[in-house]
Amino acid sequence: MNSIGMAVLIGLVAVFAMLDSRLLGRLNFEQPLVTSAIVGILLGNPAAGLASGATIELMSMGLVQVGAATPPDMVMGGIIATSFAILTGSDPETAVAIAIPIAVLGQLLGVTFRTIIAALGHRADAAIEKGNFREATNYHIVWGTILYSTMYFIPVFLAIYLGTDFVQGIVDAVPAWFTNGLNFAAKLLTAYGLSLLLSMMASKGMMVFFLLGFFGCAYLGLDVTGISIFGVLLAFILMSVKYQGGSAATAAAGIDDDYDPLEDDEL
Amino acid sequence: MSENTTAIQVSPNKRYSQYFWRSWAIQDSWNYERQMNMGFLYGIAPTIDRLYPDENDPEQVAKRKEAYERHMAFYNCTPQTSAFVLGLASSMEEEYARDPENFDPETINAVKTSLMGPLSGIGDSFFQGTIRTIAFGLGTALAAQGSMLGPVLAMVISAAFSIPITWYAGKFGYEMGNSFLDRLQSGTMEKIMYACGIVGLMAIGGMVATLIGITTPLTFSEGTVVLQDILNGIVPMILDLAAVMGMYWLVKHNVKTSWLLAICIVGGIALSALGILA
Repeated sequence: MNSIGMAVLIGLVAVFAMLDSRLLGRLNFEQPLVTSAIVGILLGNPAAGLASGATIELMSMGLVQVGAATPPDMVMGGIIATSFAILTGSDPETAVAIAIPIAVLGQLLGVTFRTIIAALGHRADAAIEKGNFREATNYHIVWGTILYSTMYFIPVFLAIYLGTDFVQGIVDAVPAWFTNGLNFAAKLLTAYGLSLLLSMMASKGMMVFFLLGFFGCAYLGLDVTGISIFGVLLAFILMSVKYQGGSAATAAAGIDDDYDPLEDDEL
Repeated sequence: MSENTTAIQVSPNKRYSQYFWRSWAIQDSWNYERQMNMGFLYGIAPTIDRLYPDENDPEQVAKRKEAYERHMAFYNCTPQTSAFVLGLASSMEEEYARDPENFDPETINAVKTSLMGPLSGIGDSFFQGTIRTIAFGLGTALAAQGSMLGPVLAMVISAAFSIPITWYAGKFGYEMGNSFLDRLQSGTMEKIMYACGIVGLMAIGGMVATLIGITTPLTFSEGTVVLQDILNGIVPMILDLAAVMGMYWLVKHNVKTSWLLAICIVGGIALSALGILA
């Protein structure tokens, strides 16, 4: 097989991995264990693919994408590293060593990409405004699919086609301040997204619950599920006070009775 | 009441399979700004289109536009559990179309927002935490012995949980919405809005404290005074709160989105490069 054909094949494995999280609700078919095995079969060395996949999988097991945080991209790292390991005949440990810098580079690309394609949302807003409903949903299902696939296909294709040295060179050339800056910009964008949500939900007198949620997590170390459970319980309590006037009034009356003698004592 | 006579009917299975596939496709345009908002719109679009099918009736077009705009709001949820929200929101849209006078459409987004936090928490820890660890732990052990069964088994276990849970989540969401909304009075709606507001806002507060992670590397007096330690001593995660409240203030003062994005990206890189924030 010539090197262009091989690069195209591996690029398509990357597209398959990307579409797992885009169109299949992240069934985890994107994981290195699966993709490395496929790469191994395609490059004619399934045993080496399995071995690299198992090693990289163990290392990336802890990296879970939660909420908006983007971890090093072990999906891309695993595919490219396994290919290099098989093509150069190196062992699975070398594959891991190659996978890490590529994963960091992939993370940088992913953060940049996910920042830029916020533009699709603005185009969809404009399309809805004009009444072009199909156009609006196409920005999601057609353009989203195409752009995300391209975002994965091109770098994987180029990496396999141009080789290891070239990839290492790029990893070394991107200045650290730029990488760190993009990571911080991604945090600010998350803050912006949450503030949009807040402005939608926060009606008069409700801001206190936002602060309660924040301080509950900040001081007590609860996670979002934990604070939501407390939120549900608090909602039940406050609803019974606010809306079931009869029982709440009785309870209040009972308290008043208890307090009366105390007040008499003080007088 | 033109909506009553013109709405297009479909079989339940067609509806559920739309919730299923479109919930799986919810991350197709994931971005840092409103995250899965277009994914949710894509999921609910067939329901909306069935409710307001007449493109020549200006009243229906206006309703349809209003519904599309409603579902462009920020959204983020695990795809499998999000099917429940999609089913529930679809039945709420149907209820609103049937009875626009007594149904406050803002309830729909309030319900979405209050459910997405807890359902993401449960969904992520179940699918990405539990199932992934079990399936790929087993699969990796087999693959390390050189068996192709390893990756295959990992894929089978993952799909075996994902497929039924997504299907039934969408079905239950829709059915629950129907039976639950039938009994609704206008007073009940107000109560639900209030309860959803509490849960939703507390979850947003929780997300601010747990998902952003802004810190400052600044130190004074030759590194003996670390600003981050002082801030942690006052209020943990205060910088995250400050960033969100700053953005909230700008949003409330109608600063244009393009400006806000520029502030985030250019300002973010500058603040980070100057070593002020990270």
